[in-house]
Amino acid sequence: METILSINGISKSYGPIQALKNVSFSVPEGCVFGILGPNGSGKTTLLGTILNVLKADAGSYQWFEGMQHDVARRHIGSLLETPNFYHYMSAMDNLEINASIKQRGHDDKLRVLEKVDLLQRKDSKFQTYSLGMKQRLAIGAALLGQPKVLVFDEPTNGLDPAGIAEIREMIRMLNKEGITIIMASHLLDEVEKVCTHVAILKKGDLLLSGPVEEVLQSEDQVEVKAADMPALQNVLNNMPGIIKTNLVNNVLLLSCNETLTTQNINEYCAAKGIILSHLLLRKKSLETKFMELTNN
Amino acid sequence: MRSLLAIEWLKIKRYRTFWILVGFFAVLLPLWNYEVANGMINMGKNSINLLSQAYNFPEVWGNLGFWASIFIVFLSILVIILTTNEFSFRTHRQNIIDGWSRLQFYHAKVGMVLLLSVLATLYLFILGVIFGLLNGGSPVDIFERFEQVGYFFLLSVDYLGFALLISILIKRSGLSIGMFLLYALIVESILKGILNWSFDTASPGNYLPLQSSDELLPFPFIRMAQQMISKETISMWPYVIVTIIWCSIYYFAGRRILLRRDW
Repeated sequence: METILSINGISKSYGPIQALKNVSFSVPEGCVFGILGPNGSGKTTLLGTILNVLKADAGSYQWFEGMQHDVARRHIGSLLETPNFYHYMSAMDNLEINASIKQRGHDDKLRVLEKVDLLQRKDSKFQTYSLGMKQRLAIGAALLGQPKVLVFDEPTNGLDPAGIAEIREMIRMLNKEGITIIMASHLLDEVEKVCTHVAILKKGDLLLSGPVEEVLQSEDQVEVKAADMPALQNVLNNMPGIIKTNLVNNVLLLSCNETLTTQNINEYCAAKGIILSHLLLRKKSLETKFMELTNN
Repeated sequence: MRSLLAIEWLKIKRYRTFWILVGFFAVLLPLWNYEVANGMINMGKNSINLLSQAYNFPEVWGNLGFWASIFIVFLSILVIILTTNEFSFRTHRQNIIDGWSRLQFYHAKVGMVLLLSVLATLYLFILGVIFGLLNGGSPVDIFERFEQVGYFFLLSVDYLGFALLISILIKRSGLSIGMFLLYALIVESILKGILNWSFDTASPGNYLPLQSSDELLPFPFIRMAQQMISKETISMWPYVIVTIIWCSIYYFAGRRILLRRDW
């Protein structure tokens, strides 16, 4: 499988603020790659860098295993932060400029306008559009000429709930057609719903990257209580399959292997002569996982 | 370059401000000169008029060229608006994202400056021929002292190139126009005054960025006075060379800024 994008040790600072610190990862063909992180974590800086609107202080990136950058960008549809169009021109005329620079997609304008539901307004000036319409036009411009790769920065920003659902559905559809999608988002829920791969950024550091199910794997936790808590912890520390025990507020929290069940734990304690007064399986939410990753 | 200019054309052909400013230049320049030639506008009283009414060949070139060097301000403001628009709409980013290199973006703008200068010069030539013939000139004399048409081309590149650099530096439209006018109309005159006053004979103030090309097309009355005082004709070559040097400085400065900074 081809590597669409590989990023090697990119660093970038704005004065004293280090926006990206030695970030490296690669994006395989055909995936939906989410760049996840809270506001100000460096997502937009990273996307700006790989699209050459920002200059990295160090590091490099390669599109399509080494295609010349300017040529590569013509095969990439991008939406960076805000929609950028000539205010005094219609959607059609604006798209004509996009197509001319890309050197492709001249006969594709009506198709993309229909796809983002702007066909009726194709001859209205950009400055008369609502925020949501501007955002949709930007997505339409990104789709122009059927690019192999789409780069979206917060694609659902400024859209209403129906619009958000539509965009997510569209991303899934496009990905099914074989298009690789790279998107930045601060919404965990969004990444979880549409992405196959994820990279997590925090204050410019790359915390983790890989397939979503590995990175955002939600391990379960078990709560137990007994009359003699220290003895209970002692016993369970030695039980095979238990990764970690943690005493919080007089409740023992267990991180377990997937194979371990509450029944196993109960039987094991009983065999060691400890009667449990409390046994509860808690599904750890992704939200907690995300907070854990990005805080501390 | 042709494809870059074709895309610049797509950007401006439906832009009303573009047509208005070009219209100002195209309409006001001949109108003004028509009135000067016919004494409807004059400087002085009674029978004294400091404005040259000579629109015959070859005087028409110096006369038209001087007035065009003032009306070029319309086109300079146009260049500023077209360039700063890119920054305020953030379309300069979009152009890059869509696949232009930074240098292509810059060269599209430089190309626009050159093309506007060629067209303005061509227009000046056509106006000159019409004025000259209407004022009784003979077609045989059209090319006498014709180098002044070339001087106007240099002056235009100088002014528009300076406007482009200011826009790239400042990025904001209102401030750029203000700074351009402030420099062109006031600051440079002050600097020129100080420099020429302190260095008596050498007149270094004449070689300031815009002044160097203004010297190529001086106020016709001053030119006549100069010719009367010194019998030798004043060589324009130093001003031609310095103007070209300034234009190159604008080009390389703008290029360096755009290639280095974040967009």
